[in-house]
Amino acid sequence: MGIRFWERKVKAVNEDLEGCSKKRRRQRPHVLTDAYILSPSTFTMDWQGQKVAEQLMQIMLVVFAIAAFITGYILGSFELMIYVYAGGVVLTILTTIPNWPFFNRHPLKWLDPSEAEKHPKPQVTSSVSKKKTPKK
Amino acid sequence: MHSFSFRANALLTFSLTILALMCAMASLTDNFNSPSPTATVQILNVNRFQKKASGDDEVGISLDISADLQSLFTWNTKQVFVFLAAEYSTPKNSLNQVSLWDGIIPAKEDAKFSIKTKNKYRFIDQGSNLRGRDFNLTLHWHVMPKTGKMFADKLVLPGFRLPESYR
Repeated sequence: MGIRFWERKVKAVNEDLEGCSKKRRRQRPHVLTDAYILSPSTFTMDWQGQKVAEQLMQIMLVVFAIAAFITGYILGSFELMIYVYAGGVVLTILTTIPNWPFFNRHPLKWLDPSEAEKHPKPQVTSSVSKKKTPKK
Repeated sequence: MHSFSFRANALLTFSLTILALMCAMASLTDNFNSPSPTATVQILNVNRFQKKASGDDEVGISLDISADLQSLFTWNTKQVFVFLAAEYSTPKNSLNQVSLWDGIIPAKEDAKFSIKTKNKYRFIDQGSNLRGRDFNLTLHWHVMPKTGKMFADKLVLPGFRLPESYR
């Protein structure tokens, strides 16, 4: 899912707005929020945060693996290595999986409905003479 | 890294892959171990030496086995399986190996031992070739790891001889 997916979603919502009368539009101020809520997991991590989360996960796991191996080898205990690594995995889970606020420092600015009204929709030319295969 | 389940799945698979690599590295460190085990075996008594009704010889012996296998243990060792085999050659078979006793050593502390025992498994020949037979008692061991490769080796103790006649 890239940024195009969300552009299309915003466009779909705006088209939905087009069909409403002005009175109904005022009564539906949260229509973009509906699209927002429909997104998976209510999406409280921004793009920059996702990248940070992924990098943090990989780095933390590798660092804990190296630390666990060295500890286990020096102290001569295989079980100690497994315990240190398991602790590292749990710590990584707690750090990178939940939607912490520090992953949302660069939030996306969604288009305001009043702003969308000001810009006309691009017109699709209806005179298509050649038959085209539908593009996906 | 878009949704909760996506991140959880990525983390889980990555952590398991790293765990597999750690276990492989742990197994590789076993190659750095250069063990120096020692063992001696004495035959205390030949209790029984008969020719059975089927025509095969059978021997019953009492053994005194003492060994120090502590250097075989590494941080990646689960247990050491050790067994004592009598090895000899006959006109019919160039090599006969008969396991007389075995044991499992679960920890390094138990690896230095000295026991007196009768043969745990029966010493029966294929035929009637054991009178006056020279044989070796070979101590075999298998170092079973927690992860990875198993190492096996042996120590040959020559110079044993069975009696010339039945008892």
